[in-house]
Amino acid sequence: MKINEVPQDDVPDYSQGIKKGNYAIDDRGKYVMVPSKGWVIDEQINKMAYDEYQDKVEETRKAVLAGQHSPLAYYMELRQMIPKFLGKTAGIATFRVKRHLRPEIFAKLNDSVLDKYAKALAITREDLKIVPKNSYER
Amino acid sequence: MTTSVTTETLTNGRTYTHRTAAHCETGVTSALFFDKGLHLSEPMIFGIGSGIFFGHLPFIKWTGLPITTFRAMPGLVFKKTAKRLGAKVYRKRFRTPQKGMDELRHVIRTGQIVAVTTNVYWLSFFPRRYRFNFSGHNFIVLYENENGFRISDPALLEYITDCSAYDMERARFARGPMEARGLMYYPIYVNPNPDIRKACIAGMLDTCNQMLKIPIPLFGVKAIRLVAQKIIKWPEKLGYVEACRQLAHVLRFQEEMGTGGAGFRYMFAAFLQEASELFGSKELNELSNDMTVIGDTWREFAVVSSRIIKQRKSKREETFDKAGGLMLICAGREEELFKNLRNVVGNLKS
Repeated sequence: MKINEVPQDDVPDYSQGIKKGNYAIDDRGKYVMVPSKGWVIDEQINKMAYDEYQDKVEETRKAVLAGQHSPLAYYMELRQMIPKFLGKTAGIATFRVKRHLRPEIFAKLNDSVLDKYAKALAITREDLKIVPKNSYER
Repeated sequence: MTTSVTTETLTNGRTYTHRTAAHCETGVTSALFFDKGLHLSEPMIFGIGSGIFFGHLPFIKWTGLPITTFRAMPGLVFKKTAKRLGAKVYRKRFRTPQKGMDELRHVIRTGQIVAVTTNVYWLSFFPRRYRFNFSGHNFIVLYENENGFRISDPALLEYITDCSAYDMERARFARGPMEARGLMYYPIYVNPNPDIRKACIAGMLDTCNQMLKIPIPLFGVKAIRLVAQKIIKWPEKLGYVEACRQLAHVLRFQEEMGTGGAGFRYMFAAFLQEASELFGSKELNELSNDMTVIGDTWREFAVVSSRIIKQRKSKREETFDKAGGLMLICAGREEELFKNLRNVVGNLKS
């Protein structure tokens, strides 16, 4: 790759002004590092993954409002966790986390367990009990 | 060279200079050794530490999809480089966040800069769309200040920034696949005049073995062939949309995650070029040119794949067969290159 072939596609929403290093050959055939503003292909594949994540969060939010899951499921998706790792973070066994994803069981949890989850998910205990009415913007 | 430089004064009065790099681990390692007075470029570190690799790990899932890596396991580059340059290093993981944070504070108070491995999701200075649950980003902690920690992230930022203590703790001790468990590392003692030629030879030989000799088809050149054949079969096996999703996942490892272009292949070419100057060897320079061609092929694979993904809802001009075919070409060429490299290295004198 020559220096002038290093992609410089600026996608502000994606890169937010951050440049990535790329190794390319200069006129004399020597390798140098060239900062790249971004590449549409990077942006495209990142968008795919990011949209997938956002869709999943949104889906879970609707499911919670419909009473299929407990709010814990929504915040778990939001923090990109799965029951296994949420359990490890909060110090609660995975099978219990899976049970707590059911709304009727979640409603009966006492404060100490809720606090553990709130701390693991970096939200307050009050927030944990409800999900936003409108889709969440990070 | 167009790298911007910012400096910072450390607790013990010494000056730290921030240099941008293409990849986090090599950039961090380079900066750590630079701080100890050993000046090695990022590609050199990458070569000595045998950073180039290919592996396909279907049993480790990341965002629900298998990992296809273009580099050695996170952490190994630093370890191997230090060993081959005769440096003594400190490298530790922790059982509890409390111990890990105390130890970090204790060390940076002495003026020693420390590299930490973190989970990207919890770092709020990262752009929103980069923040995925991925434990494997390295940066350097310089000292503690009123906002938390002063950090230098060679792979991402062109300047030195702050990171809050809360972010730091969450990021270092995030649970998940390949968790860092607060891994922190720095060299204690670096030989100021190491035998770089010997280290290069060791690095190159190890690279050849990694790529050619591991008798499991999930690693090295064999893995490139395996993935290529998988890609060709994906549309039938998984359906077009799911196949695109998997393909995009491979591309993310190749291009998106700070690889210096073409899944580290350009960086390795840069290393071979530097090594050819060091040894005065024409053969190494030719191999560097070959590696550049291989990198260009990987790049082409990325372009073709992205077209496949883009047209997933409409017409189909590019096919998975073509993408897989390009990858098979890469595999063939890399196999030849590493075989040649092994022969060339055999004739080099340290």
